[in-house]
Amino acid sequence: MNAPLKIGIIGSGRMGITHHSIINTHPDVRVVATADPSMVINKLLAKYAGVRTHRTYEALLREGGLDAVLLCTPPAANHAILTAVRQHGLHAFVEKPFVLSATQGRELAASFSGAGLVNQVGYVNRFNDVFFQLRTLVSEGVFGRVHQFRSEMYSPTIVRQQKGEGWRASHANGGGAIYEMASHAIDLINFLFGKPDLVKGSSLTRVFSENVEDIVTSTFLYKTGLSGLLYTNWSDASYRKPANRIEVYGERGKAIADQHGLKIHLPEANEAHGLAAGWNQRSITDLSTPVPFYLRGNEFTRQLYDFVDAIRMNRNTRCTFSDAAATLEIVEAIFADWQNNKSELVA
Amino acid sequence: MIDRVVFGDNQFFGINHMSQDKASEQAKRFADLDRIFEVYGYAFEAGIRAVMLNSNDRALAICDRFRAMKSQLPPIAWYPSIPYPHKYAGLVAEKGMVGALQGLLFADGAGSALGKIAQGAMATLSFDAVRLMRMLVDQEMTIFRGLDVRVVFLQNIIVDLMLGFETPAPFIEYCSHIRKRYGAKPGLITQNLPLLHRRLVEWGIKDVVICSSINKIGYLMSPDRASYEAVIAQNHPADYQFMAMSTLASGAIPPTEAYAYINQLNIQSIVFGASSRANIEKTVASITGGGEAQ
Repeated sequence: MNAPLKIGIIGSGRMGITHHSIINTHPDVRVVATADPSMVINKLLAKYAGVRTHRTYEALLREGGLDAVLLCTPPAANHAILTAVRQHGLHAFVEKPFVLSATQGRELAASFSGAGLVNQVGYVNRFNDVFFQLRTLVSEGVFGRVHQFRSEMYSPTIVRQQKGEGWRASHANGGGAIYEMASHAIDLINFLFGKPDLVKGSSLTRVFSENVEDIVTSTFLYKTGLSGLLYTNWSDASYRKPANRIEVYGERGKAIADQHGLKIHLPEANEAHGLAAGWNQRSITDLSTPVPFYLRGNEFTRQLYDFVDAIRMNRNTRCTFSDAAATLEIVEAIFADWQNNKSELVA
Repeated sequence: MIDRVVFGDNQFFGINHMSQDKASEQAKRFADLDRIFEVYGYAFEAGIRAVMLNSNDRALAICDRFRAMKSQLPPIAWYPSIPYPHKYAGLVAEKGMVGALQGLLFADGAGSALGKIAQGAMATLSFDAVRLMRMLVDQEMTIFRGLDVRVVFLQNIIVDLMLGFETPAPFIEYCSHIRKRYGAKPGLITQNLPLLHRRLVEWGIKDVVICSSINKIGYLMSPDRASYEAVIAQNHPADYQFMAMSTLASGAIPPTEAYAYINQLNIQSIVFGASSRANIEKTVASITGGGEAQ
């Protein structure tokens, strides 16, 4: 029996306390300390979670005694924090979108991997029962060569005029629909098909936010001939909660995946995979397998327990810093493409 | 004892785990309060006398009509659940954690009772977390004033978050507040029934209603169905009362099969939602038909 893994949590916002609660249920883990500037939150955590609380990450790292950290801070802060975490030789799980530049992301990926430190970014779709099943089917060639996809996300997150409060109100801090929402859809595309070779036809639209986009659309092209669309909107009040959907078309079949399940259409039956000719439906109730502890979705537990396993087994995670840096490259390509498109529209 | 059959509310608010289309369709249909009361009418005609309702943005209008129609309706036992999780999630997304907390506390203005206490607390940073919890509970519960409240459920997003922290204090405080202030039983909704049960036993918190997904295919049952069955089999209803939800696993299990499974478990209560007269009658018949022997 190993000594328990000692974990510190930096940032006790909504994701911070969610991850804190989940990882605290792992039998081999002890959450020993947290860092957050809010005295109100710290007071609650000291009293109800029995952890030592600090107001800065520097104080948390200085105190020592940790094996790993979970970082759930606004992304603009993450490069500096992760550099310090790396100097202290700690494994790190970071909430998406990780950092705000692909260059910084690649640099951190190289330094963590070079030091043999486990590194993971919280693109949680990679641990979702439906999307993981879709990836398995795509990689096993069930749809033959894939020609086309469409990745969509909708939510009622910002449905009123925003006054520009909080870190979410500006790009410089990592706010906006592209970092906060579209990044999930982009990462899912990378996870399924690899990083696109070319980004075209992008637009960023403001609806209710003052300084950042609420709608993101783009076209992704691959040297192999594969192409796909990204369409995300977080100001759509017709949705009660976030919805995530991807459609994949290949020469031997098609799949539509969302949080409710997987619909598969095959012109010919695929007996090895138990799929009939025509439409097949695999609902979330068929695809989901329970996790040891549930909070907000199986995938949240699975990704953190996988982080612990990766540390124990000294292996890579399902979403490394390098994977997240690739997603940031696409985010940057969308920004650049939109700048071009804007100038063309004005001219 | 709690009611064997409780009529839930998911069908009214566009909640369907299997289909977004079906959910939107239902939300459209029930935008009109008359249509909601038509369905409650079917439920009462089928013999149901217990209602579970989440404190969401339509709950006040629904409760107002129940209060206004009191003399025309049979006596109803109420099983509210609090809070409305999307309200909190939305606030956090817009304002961040501390901003959201302030938004909640000052929702009725700085001059309101809650606002005044909160203002003092924020200024001195010496606020009392227990008092804060009680204020938030009481604020949600104003929706249900004047109704015969039997159990007040805390939503699973809060229960399971606190459960992960493994600290008894919030559970003890919540349960004692519900008993004292409302003369009702505390209820806890969870997706981790075996773990919650184990902790409640360890912490000496008894006579609590535990509501959880319980179904034949083990959907949303963490860590697994066998652990649920073991805990349920060994329980004495004087210690804890179990209420099953998601018994059909969002429609994945046919009703006859689903309730044949549920009825042979040592479960005290079942909450279900349906919107047609036929489905409501059929469900009530399959639950009460085989379930009295415990």
